[in-house]
Amino acid sequence: MTLLVLSLFSVALTLLGFFVSVPLFKRFTILGLSLALLSLLLTWGKPFALGPYHVDGISQVFTLLALLGALWTVGLVRSGRFEFYLLVLYATLGMHLLASTQNLILMLVALEALSLPLYALATWRRGEGLEAALKYFLLGALAAAFFLYGTALHYGATGNLLAGTPGEGPLYALALGLLLVGLGFKVALAPFHFWTPDVYQGSPTPVVLFMATGVKAAAFAALLRVAAPGVPDALALLVAFSVLLGNLAALGQKEAKRLLAYSSIAHAGYMALALYTGNATALGFYLLTYVLATGLAFAVLSEVSPDRVPLERLKGLFHRDPLLGLGLFVASLSLLGLPPLAGFWGKYLVFTEAAKAGQWGLLVLALITSAVSAYYYLALGLAVFQKGAAEAHPRPLARGVALGVALLLILLGLIPGAVLPALAAG
Amino acid sequence: MVILAILLPILFGLLLLLGLPRALGVLGAGLSFLLNLYLFLTHPGGTAHPVTLPLLPGVGVYWAFGLDGLSALFFLTIGLTVFLGALVAQVEGRFLGLALLMSGLLLGLFAARDLLVFYLFFEATLIPALLMLFFYGGEGRVRALYTFLLFTLAGSLPMLAAVLAAKALGGSPSFLLEDLLAHPVKGGAALWVFLGFALAFAIKTPLFPLHAWLPPFHQENHPSGLADALGTLYKVGVFAFFRFAIPLAPEGFSELQGLLLFLAAISALYGAWVAFSAKDFKTLLAYAGVSHMGVAALGTFSGTPEGALGGLYLLAASGVYTGGLFLLAGRLYERLHTLEIGRFRGLSAPAPALSALALFLFLAMVGLPGLSGFPGELMTLLGAYKQSPWLTAMAFLSVIAGAAYALTAFQKVFWEEGTQKTEDLKGAEWPFAALAVAALVLMGVFPGFFVKGLKPLAEAFAKILGGGA
Repeated sequence: MTLLVLSLFSVALTLLGFFVSVPLFKRFTILGLSLALLSLLLTWGKPFALGPYHVDGISQVFTLLALLGALWTVGLVRSGRFEFYLLVLYATLGMHLLASTQNLILMLVALEALSLPLYALATWRRGEGLEAALKYFLLGALAAAFFLYGTALHYGATGNLLAGTPGEGPLYALALGLLLVGLGFKVALAPFHFWTPDVYQGSPTPVVLFMATGVKAAAFAALLRVAAPGVPDALALLVAFSVLLGNLAALGQKEAKRLLAYSSIAHAGYMALALYTGNATALGFYLLTYVLATGLAFAVLSEVSPDRVPLERLKGLFHRDPLLGLGLFVASLSLLGLPPLAGFWGKYLVFTEAAKAGQWGLLVLALITSAVSAYYYLALGLAVFQKGAAEAHPRPLARGVALGVALLLILLGLIPGAVLPALAAG
Repeated sequence: MVILAILLPILFGLLLLLGLPRALGVLGAGLSFLLNLYLFLTHPGGTAHPVTLPLLPGVGVYWAFGLDGLSALFFLTIGLTVFLGALVAQVEGRFLGLALLMSGLLLGLFAARDLLVFYLFFEATLIPALLMLFFYGGEGRVRALYTFLLFTLAGSLPMLAAVLAAKALGGSPSFLLEDLLAHPVKGGAALWVFLGFALAFAIKTPLFPLHAWLPPFHQENHPSGLADALGTLYKVGVFAFFRFAIPLAPEGFSELQGLLLFLAAISALYGAWVAFSAKDFKTLLAYAGVSHMGVAALGTFSGTPEGALGGLYLLAASGVYTGGLFLLAGRLYERLHTLEIGRFRGLSAPAPALSALALFLFLAMVGLPGLSGFPGELMTLLGAYKQSPWLTAMAFLSVIAGAAYALTAFQKVFWEEGTQKTEDLKGAEWPFAALAVAALVLMGVFPGFFVKGLKPLAEAFAKILGGGA
């Protein structure tokens, strides 16, 4: 259903784009994404399979998150060209596919289908954005090559193209490792994160929102499937690198988007802890809180300026516009994982998974780096209250969404039990 | 009932944050105090008003609250101190709102019967504390804020690992306190679990050498003393050791008992030493707090029923008298715009009633028999003496030193000859003084009434250690 809606709209809108005005086109895109969301919710909890396309719990939960990210991005952006919306739609289609298949070849196709539009989106602003996009493209292509190589070895080791096939031997281990690297690029696990800070800083903020939410969700869905039979030992290294490097490098950042880029690396590390037990509900909840919080942060930044946002420019935002200021404050605290905000329960759930898997060393490292992260999240969150002359020209809708998401983060923090069964049922 | 008591100040706090007038906050604090007083007076013993609502039942987390004798006592002292603060601290409505919010979260912390819910409140209380410091603090507040934040989180996040481990390694089906108590962590892991808790709670006690966040926290907070009074109540380390850390991993505690007793005695002595040379009120009170908490911790770590009982009573009493002294310092600041002890001279002549109130508070802090500091101190030292006479002697020195620093400060400010003019007690300061003195005297003369609910808990605590060692 969802696939049908998304692909129909993608194709139809490609043709339509040349004939209708851009604002109307934007509405069509929102309609398409909303219908996809609706179809997803209508079939919630009902598995469906057609060849290698396989809708199950993981697919539904992570597609939901990707759709939320896409809708938010489309709503936020003020682009004068219809191609922007179309590219988001195509990327969303790729995300849904990536989350909905076990077949490694189809995964690769989906990975490319979601990446190519994003390369184009990253160049939306010329100049500096171009360099970032080139970096993104080259490293992305490299990642795809790793993934393809891993697929080939996986086939050699198991005679099978289904992700999650159990196997043994050095060839199999190598295959898993390569697949992990390929997806690790997409979710920005260190040491495959080098593109992240530049691309986040150089791309338009709504596009960054999309990268941070949709791409992470879809790629983690694939990671869950690849890591299902057991995680390679190397994952511990990736997690350790990510949480250390992400949090430590974020400490010195003076620009909000770059800071959030390092934060996203650290969060990828925390999320990867859930791979140890393959608990999709815990990971899904974490991603939900992360999508809401980081999305809120980027949404606020995008109202301040579509370009770079040095922390200096956030000073005084609260006095200029209380809703946006509070939104950024709540988002920062949730990203930090301070109760009673939703981010705490996300952390709690994935840390529990790490504890279940007996990864006490990684758990302690993750907790200590979380404490370190307080420094920069607070700098970000408290900047809005300081004296300064921040400027913002928010639209009423953006303020409403900021308030709504901030309340949602608090509400999810108080009654996380309300959504967990729904996530588990998907 | 408990939920109502927790939500009432939170609700008033939120209303004030939305911009409602300050008077409403005083009303809220008063109502909260009366409700807490009622809960304390009608406390039937055992765990009263238990509430258990599912939070994340799948992983064994419940909104579980209840009021045992210990919680009831702290409800009373928190309600009282916050009301005292609301009466006299001349601060804007939003500040009072944050204070009320924080007091509600503290009530939740003391009433929690689920380890994870306790953790939730333990962390959440940080937010209003930080905001008060950030919005209303002094020049160096940002530095103080980061010190405070990083110390707290460096303790509380490793504690989250200990929280998870306490359930996973002990084999308890949920985070409910009774389940956890039935499944304490055993063997080699107990030490690590206990260490995780101990770090967080030692920072929040605070024990030397983890006290470094406390002096800047107080120095930089608003001179009215309201935030300091709340900060004093937030020093929940001794309580948390007693309620959670030690009973959940008694074997781990036994291995570290010697070290902890030593650190507690050092804290007591060191705090008193620094307080003696303090130049301003807030530094004096901050270090006096370190010293007193050292004594309280010594009692709890002794593992004897008297010691634990005394330590907790001292903690509760010090919330009132230290909080009261911070508020008093705020009154002096408002009159003379300084907190430097050397700048005050002979205030007893122009302000006799103010001076009398100060004398009561200082003497309670010194531990004069008949006032609220004495029973706790005495029981603590009695209990600790059984466990380790030498360390108790050290801590006892700090009590003597306490008399020295507190009375020297009092003498300088109020009795030395001087010509400073100032107003005496006025307006809302009269009920403040009356209520504070009444509490100090009642808690000093009838300690038995206040600790009757504590006794069985302290005995059960000592029994766990007797069985675990």
